[in-house]
Amino acid sequence: MTAQAAVQAAINGLLTGGLYALVGMGLALIFGVMRIVNFAHGAFMMLGMYITFVAVGATGVSPYLMFPVAGLVMFVFGALVYYGLLSRLPAGADFMQILLTIGLSLICTDAVQLVFGADYHLLNTGLASTNLALGYGLSVNAPWVVSFAIAAAISVGLYLFVLRTMTGRAARAIAQTPAAAPLMGINVHRVQAISFAVGTAAAGVAGALLLPVFYLYPTVGDQFTEKAFVMVVLGGMGSIVGAATAGLVLGVVESLTSLYWGNQWALVVDFVLFVLVLSFKPGGIFGTERA
Amino acid sequence: MTRSHALAAAAFAGALLVPFVVRSDYTLQVLFRLFLFSALGLAWNLVGGYAGQLSLGHSAYFGAGAYGLALSTRLGLPAWPSVGVGILVAMLFALVIGGVSFRLRGPYFALATIACAEILRLSAKNLTGLTGGDVGAAVPALFSGQVVRSFYWSAVLLASLAAAATLAVTRSRFGYYLMAIREDEDTALSVGIDTAKTKLAALLISAALTAVAGSLYASLFLYIVPDQVFGLDISNEVAIVAMLGGVGTIAGPIVGALILETASELFKNVFLEAHLLIYGGLLVFVVLFLPDGIVGTIVRRRTLARRRAKPPRAPDHAAA
Repeated sequence: MTAQAAVQAAINGLLTGGLYALVGMGLALIFGVMRIVNFAHGAFMMLGMYITFVAVGATGVSPYLMFPVAGLVMFVFGALVYYGLLSRLPAGADFMQILLTIGLSLICTDAVQLVFGADYHLLNTGLASTNLALGYGLSVNAPWVVSFAIAAAISVGLYLFVLRTMTGRAARAIAQTPAAAPLMGINVHRVQAISFAVGTAAAGVAGALLLPVFYLYPTVGDQFTEKAFVMVVLGGMGSIVGAATAGLVLGVVESLTSLYWGNQWALVVDFVLFVLVLSFKPGGIFGTERA
Repeated sequence: MTRSHALAAAAFAGALLVPFVVRSDYTLQVLFRLFLFSALGLAWNLVGGYAGQLSLGHSAYFGAGAYGLALSTRLGLPAWPSVGVGILVAMLFALVIGGVSFRLRGPYFALATIACAEILRLSAKNLTGLTGGDVGAAVPALFSGQVVRSFYWSAVLLASLAAAATLAVTRSRFGYYLMAIREDEDTALSVGIDTAKTKLAALLISAALTAVAGSLYASLFLYIVPDQVFGLDISNEVAIVAMLGGVGTIAGPIVGALILETASELFKNVFLEAHLLIYGGLLVFVVLFLPDGIVGTIVRRRTLARRRAKPPRAPDHAAA
């Protein structure tokens, strides 16, 4: 295995990681503010993919322009899920939140399967065979680069939302000390609703951007739910910067694992990394807080 | 012998007699599943219900039982001792997984258990030389003649064993330790309970029972693949059975299995492809309207009604 192959794998991994990062940031936002293990996050991403698929099919517009549709629909969907279901649960009902999100994930996946069937779909943007040469024999696949660039821009936007806006500050306050936030005049329900909706929208947009480069099928989200959990833990306690960094790291680690040991070990390495970090540095690699 | 003892004994005897009335193999298989998941729910309940540790990776022990049986017979061991090997492997897994994950709390614990179970599932898929990977592994038959009946009876026995174990645990000092950990781990630690050891002991019992269920399940199918026995679906279903019925009660997992298995069997036949949709809807319904689980909600209502019927004693008022 040459160094060139390794560098190429790392570049590809970085591009994948950019999309992982967006999925992970969405979950980190939700996890930080609500401390829920959202088993439906991958299903939300899958919905974003199907929404874009339908929108592209109906209008013929490129998926790279359709991602705001997926984001908007999933934002509303997230808000509905929050007000209709999650906000009705008593605080601290961990078990029930998990049951609820598992149920929700099953409903989304099966509903999509009923409407669209279990077939695999692939959206051809016409860019798929375009590769951009980087010199030294390295190259990148065009649709990945476009998706990565948009994902990066949205990630920065998400970061600014959490860091600079009043709602983002309130969300971080809730994440840090849930008990003190309402005493500071924060409307916890409203901020949680917005955070959940934004997190869901991030998953939806990630799905839209993944559509040009990934197969589409009803259970496509399952593996992303797991990866998003890994990112959130690696990134540390609801830190969205941490989750984004973890997404990039995960993409590269998976790509290199695939190169040296084969594709089938990529997810194993993810989980081993996850267990190691949980055991030895439960605050996350990039976090400072203790879990 | 109290009324509930008599009731339990009658239910046990009744369950054993079922195969003499029910002749259809299909119905018996559904009932086998029902008792198998009762046993699994009860086993999970020791860790998830009484100790309050939300394990979402019990497929690790289920799969250990299934593959333990399949692989040890390949080495020439007879079928039943191979079930024992499965139990030992599951307990070994429990030691490692417990050692790693019990240091974590809340959602982190749940995530760690998922990760461990997934590592096992993916390894079982990838280590084709050992497990056969996705091609699968043959599992020896545990019974010859009257096969479905025998499986049914063993599931009933396993569920009864799990219920008896739960009863014994709840009445022991060990059981109170577990519940103390559930209510407040720091306080439990501060009064001198070795929380790490206590949780691990509960997990070992739970893993052993789960492994036997895994062996039975595998042997009924005679053939297993990693996704089937190590999958997240098994982990989730085991936890859902207990949560649906009501965690931390003995009747809960049994009622949960009764409802979930009946419902999913009905849904499969009636709603066909929409069965997961309905199943998911059922979960959401239970969460919203029966947040303590079915048995949990009944118990709470009854306690409330009793309190209302009996006016509080005078000293309570005086104290207030």
